[in-house]
Amino acid sequence: MDDTFARFRWLRVPALLTVVGLLVAACGTSAPTTSNLAKDQTLRVNIVTEPNSLDPGQEQYSYEGSIGGMISEPLLHVKPDLSDAAPATAASYSVSSDGLTWTFKIRSNAKWNDGKPVTGADFVYAWQRILDPRLAAPYADPFFDGTVAGAADYANLDPTKDAAKIPDFINGLGLSAPDASTFVVKLQAASPFFKWIASLWMSAPVRKDVVDQYGSDKWATAPTSLITNGPYKVSEMVSKDHITLVPNTNYWGNQPTVTKIINYEISDDNQAYAKYLNGELDEVNVPLANTQLVKNDPVLSKQIKFVPQLTLFWMDFNTRKAPFNNKDARLAFSKAVDRNALTTNVLQGRSAPADFFIPKGMNGYRPDLGATQAFDPAAAKTLLTNAVGDPSKITIDFLIRNTTANKQIGEFISAQLQTNLGVKVNQVVIDSKTVTTRLRAHQYSLYVGGWGADYPDDQDWFDIWMTGSGNVFGGYSNPAYDALVKQADTTSDATKRQGLYDQAQKILIDDAGGGFLYQRNYMFLVKPYVQGLTTTASDFENVGDLFYTRVSIAQH
Amino acid sequence: MAVAQGAPPRGALLSFKIPRGRGASLGLYVVRRILWLVPVLFFVITITFVLMHLAPGSPWDREGKQLSAAVVRNLNAKYGLSDPFFVQYGRYLINVVHFDFGLSFQYEDQPVSALILRSWPPTAVIGLLAFLMIVIFGIGIGVVAALRQNTWVDYAVVGFSTIGASTPAFVLGIILIIIFSVSLYRISGGNFSLPTGGFALDQHLIMPVVTLATLPIAFIARLTRASTLEVLRQDYIRTAWAKGLRERLVVTKHVLKNSLIPVVSALGPTFAVLITGSVIVESVFAIPGIGRAFVIAVSSRDYPMILATTILFSVIVALANLIVDLLYTVIDPRVRLG
Repeated sequence: MDDTFARFRWLRVPALLTVVGLLVAACGTSAPTTSNLAKDQTLRVNIVTEPNSLDPGQEQYSYEGSIGGMISEPLLHVKPDLSDAAPATAASYSVSSDGLTWTFKIRSNAKWNDGKPVTGADFVYAWQRILDPRLAAPYADPFFDGTVAGAADYANLDPTKDAAKIPDFINGLGLSAPDASTFVVKLQAASPFFKWIASLWMSAPVRKDVVDQYGSDKWATAPTSLITNGPYKVSEMVSKDHITLVPNTNYWGNQPTVTKIINYEISDDNQAYAKYLNGELDEVNVPLANTQLVKNDPVLSKQIKFVPQLTLFWMDFNTRKAPFNNKDARLAFSKAVDRNALTTNVLQGRSAPADFFIPKGMNGYRPDLGATQAFDPAAAKTLLTNAVGDPSKITIDFLIRNTTANKQIGEFISAQLQTNLGVKVNQVVIDSKTVTTRLRAHQYSLYVGGWGADYPDDQDWFDIWMTGSGNVFGGYSNPAYDALVKQADTTSDATKRQGLYDQAQKILIDDAGGGFLYQRNYMFLVKPYVQGLTTTASDFENVGDLFYTRVSIAQH
Repeated sequence: MAVAQGAPPRGALLSFKIPRGRGASLGLYVVRRILWLVPVLFFVITITFVLMHLAPGSPWDREGKQLSAAVVRNLNAKYGLSDPFFVQYGRYLINVVHFDFGLSFQYEDQPVSALILRSWPPTAVIGLLAFLMIVIFGIGIGVVAALRQNTWVDYAVVGFSTIGASTPAFVLGIILIIIFSVSLYRISGGNFSLPTGGFALDQHLIMPVVTLATLPIAFIARLTRASTLEVLRQDYIRTAWAKGLRERLVVTKHVLKNSLIPVVSALGPTFAVLITGSVIVESVFAIPGIGRAFVIAVSSRDYPMILATTILFSVIVALANLIVDLLYTVIDPRVRLG
C-alpha cells in the first residue's frame, strides 16, 4: 500500500531564492561563479516508474507530479511550510466578498518555453479541456466536484449519448479571460480551499495551438512538442529509462542553479541503491531490508534524510457486516493493535504510530484526539465481549494485497487481533486488482487502507469519510459528521473552520470509522554535496522534489 | 491454357504445381507452416481476450485514490469498453487484420505498436548475446565434460551446472552487482567497476547477459554431456575409433552431429524465451525491455498491450520451432520434411 499510492500534489514556489540564487542574480549571469560549486550542475534522481503521461490533463500519480511539477506551473503553489499557496504564474489573486469569484492576475513576464507569453486564455483552455468528458481526464473531480460553476453536470454527461450537449456545457463553465493577463473562475459555492486547486499541477495552463498542431494525445510525448511554462523543460525522454530536464530559459523567475536533472525510472530498489553507492544517483529511497544496515553504517548514517509524509494508513472496517456494524466492536479492534510495535518492528522505525486521522504536518494535526483508540488490549477485549459476545466465535476476512510489505503488516495485525481479542482472522492475500474489485463489491470485513494528501488542506482529508464517498470502502456514515464537514468546507474564517474540523475528527475517531495505524515517513539517502535541499511533508516521489529549483551541487 | 471449370481439387492452392526435389518441398513446407500461424494466432487472440476480460479488476481500478464514477464512465466510452464483449472482440479482430493493435490504456493514448517497437530492441540484443553464449559455452563445456568423463574437468562442469541451474536469476544478478559493481567501485576508489544497470551497447551488457545465460548454459551443458556420452557408446563411434581416426575427426564429424539433436530441440524454446525477455533480469538491471513492459501491462490490465505482446510472443515461438525443425534436416539427413 505504500509504493504505488496514487495522489497528486502541488507545485514548488520559486519566489524565494536560495543564497546561491541571490549570488547568481547579483552577478547578473546564469553561470554560477561561487567557488564551492561543482562544474557539472547535474542532479540524478530516481522516479521509480515511467510517467504514463506528461500532459497536465492526464497526470495522476506522484511519479508524474515529480516531473510535471517542474515543467508545468499553475497559478499558485505551495509554500515550503505548507501553510499557504503563494503566487506563481499568477502574480496575485483576489476573491470576491461572497467567495464565489476568484480573479487571478497573470505575470506580464510569464512565458512558455518557446518564448510566447502565458495568457488567461491558456488557463481557460486547459481547464475547459480537463472538464471535457471526451478527454476523460483522470483527475477531473477537483474541478467539477463542488468547485467550478456549471461543472457539476460533468457527472451526468455521457460522452457518447450526450455528445451534442458537450459544447454548450464547456461554454457554460464559469471560466473566462476578460483580457490577456486575467483569469476569472466562478465557483458553485464559497470554497476557501480553492487556492489549493489553483496550485494543483494539473491545473497548469495548456497551449491550444500546440494541442491542435500535434494532437491531444501526441503533444506531450516528445520534448520538441512539450511546450510548457515551468522553470524546467524536458530535453530527453527514453522510455522506461530516464527523462532529462534542463532549465526553461524563458521562465519568468530566476534561472535554477542545477542545469540538468536526470530522472531515472528504476523499479528495482536494490538496483537504485547500488547506483547510489556507486555515485550514479544523488538521492535514493532506502530499501526496507537495508534500513538497519544504513542506520549502523558510519558514512551512510550521516546521509539519511527522514521526512514525514502526508500519508496515513488505517484499518478499514466494512461497517455493513457484523461485527463491524457495531461501533464498540470497531473501537475494540482499534484498541487491540500495538502501533508502536508495528512501526518499530515491522516497519523498522520508518513510519510513525498514529491513532488519530490528520497527520503531522497539517493544520488539523491533533494527536490528543486519538486517546479513544489508544492501544489497550484488556479494555479492548472487554469492550468487544460486551458489545457482541464471545470473541472466539468471531471470524474476520482480512483482505491483503500480495506484496511483501503488505503481507508483513497483515501478518502482524492478524496476530495482534488473535492474541489480544481472541478472534479468528482469515487472511485473504490476493493480487492488487482483485483486492480493489472486492473492496468495491464490499466482499471483505477488514482491510488496511490509507490516504495521501492531494493538497495540505483539511477539506481534502475530511471529505473522504462523508457518506457515499468513493475513497473509503467501509461505508462509514454519520450525519453529524457530514454536517460538520460540509459546514467547515465552506467556512472562510480559519479559526472557526478548524474548530469544526476538530469536532468532526473527534466524532470519526470515537466512532472508529477507521482504526488509525501509522503515518508514512520517507527514509532517503542524499549525497552530502547536494546543497539547499528543501524537504516538505508533501514531496512527490523524492525528498525535496517540490523545491529542486533551490538545489545546487557542491564540489566533490 | 484452358481454365478448368468448377471447384479446384482439395489442396489445390498449395499443390498447384507439384515441386520436384528436396529444396522445393522444403519451401512448400515452410510456406505451409507459416500459413498455419493464422489459425494459431486466432486461437491465441481469442483465449487471451477471454481470459483478460475474465480477470478481476478493470484498467481503471486504483490502489490509492479512486477515480470518480463519472471519470470511469468517460474512460470506458473513450476506449470502447462500454460496448458488449462480442462487439469489442470483433472490432479487435478486424483491427488486427489491418495491423492496428490499438492504443495503450496505461500510457495515455500511445499506440501499442510504438511501445513494443521501443522496448523490444534492448530485450532482443541481450537475448541474442545470451543465446550466443549458451550455444558456445553450453555445448562446448558439455562435450568436453563427456569426453573427459570422470576427470576433474567433468566434475567441475557437473558442479557448475548444478549450481548454475539452481541459482535464481535475481540472486545471481544481485551477487554480480555486489561484486563487480559496488565492491569493485569501492576497492578501486571509483576508478573501475561495471555499471550497476541500465542499457547501452557497451560494458552495460556484460552482467545482464551473464545473468540471463547462466541457467540455460548449465542446462544445455548437462543435456549435451548426457547426449554425448550416449553417442560415444554407439557402435559407429567404436568403428570410427577402430578405423584409427583422429580424435578431432571422430568428435566433430561423428559424435557432435549426432549428440546435438536433443540439444537443438531444447535450444528452440530457450531462444524464444530469451528473446521475449526476462522480467527479473530486466528489473534487476533496470533494462527498458519488453519483459518488464509485459508484466506491467498485465498488472495494470492494459488490454491492447497484453494482446499485442502475446501475439508477438506467439509468432516468435512458432518461428523458433520452425527453425528447429529445419535445423534437424541439416544435422540429421534421415529427417525429411514436407
